[in-house]
Amino acid sequence: MSIWWLALVIGAIVSMGSGFIWLALQLGGAKPRKKAADSFEDAAKEDVEHIFNEEFREELRNRGRLHFEKILGENAMFLQQDLRLTTAQLNDYMKGEISKDLKEAFANYQNAITDAKQLAVESIEKTKTAIDEERAGLVALLEKEVGEEKERRIQQFDTHLAQIVNHYVLAAIGNQIDLNDQLEYILNELEANKAAIIKDVRGGA
Amino acid sequence: MEHKQDAAISRQFVLPTLIFGLPEVRRLKRELESLDDFLRQSTIRDPGRQPQLPRLSRLCEALAAENGLNLLQEADRQQLQAFLGSLEGQAPTLHISFAADPSSAFTAKIVTWLRTQIHPYALLQVGLQPTIAAGCIVRTANKEFDLSLGQEFIKHENLLLQAFEAEAVLPVAQAAEAAPPQPTIPTAEVA
Repeated sequence: MSIWWLALVIGAIVSMGSGFIWLALQLGGAKPRKKAADSFEDAAKEDVEHIFNEEFREELRNRGRLHFEKILGENAMFLQQDLRLTTAQLNDYMKGEISKDLKEAFANYQNAITDAKQLAVESIEKTKTAIDEERAGLVALLEKEVGEEKERRIQQFDTHLAQIVNHYVLAAIGNQIDLNDQLEYILNELEANKAAIIKDVRGGA
Repeated sequence: MEHKQDAAISRQFVLPTLIFGLPEVRRLKRELESLDDFLRQSTIRDPGRQPQLPRLSRLCEALAAENGLNLLQEADRQQLQAFLGSLEGQAPTLHISFAADPSSAFTAKIVTWLRTQIHPYALLQVGLQPTIAAGCIVRTANKEFDLSLGQEFIKHENLLLQAFEAEAVLPVAQAAEAAPPQPTIPTAEVA
């Protein structure tokens, strides 16, 4: 609305200026028509020429110029005042509009930022909750795994401990036990397995 | 030949303890064959020009003596040959591994037990396996009997574990009781 108003004012000023210029040109550049055929008219013309001689014309021209300059100056002053007023109004209007737009934009931004912040906070809360749950699950799983591994290793250690001790005892004994001392043990063991040996021997290959 | 072997088997021969395993049986067979050849050659030679009778091994003499055979008689030699042949082919052989090389007396005792308890013609093949430590491992045609001390340890592994567990509990309590009191430093000395 204000732009149209501004354009209308500028158009009026331009058209007024054009009118003044055209009028000045008409006053300065108009030449009396020459009518050679009619002597009366020539006489009248001469009288007119006599009355409106060059000095008078120059005087009129000067007056017109001065008048035009005066009007032009006044109009320019008015125009300047109007322009200043319009500019001031335009500035105020623009300031108001821009301030309003900026306020709206800032309000929107503020709302958007608040929403985004809220979303971010909610997301962080959810993530934190999920991480806490995940951590709790992992801790439980880890404790379980560690417990199982501990149990398994203890069992393995127990099993291997016996094997290690056996191996160590056997290695330490080595060939230290005389075979003659073992005879009774060997015969007892053979006696214990006699039935199975006889069965296999008699069964044959 | 098979007929002779069957006849030998049908008669109950006694296998001396000195004859442990197949190597002795084969050695006896070879010795008997060489004796047989010598005696056959002696019959061809002129009387009084025969070489001296070869001396028989202790094993051969024992085998003949325990079975009441006269090895100068061809029939007895043939019977014994047949018996040794059947022994080589049919006698059950037991492989026994020991931790150390057994002495002859030890082997004889084992063989005696085998001949009295398992089979009268059981032959022994002795092996050496130092990892056994004590005891022996008996291998028959189809089975293996681990009679070693290691196997015995494995069988009674639970006892060892129980002993460990019992011993593991005690030191903790004893250590708690026997722990010396923490030395306290007088404040004057510290200063």
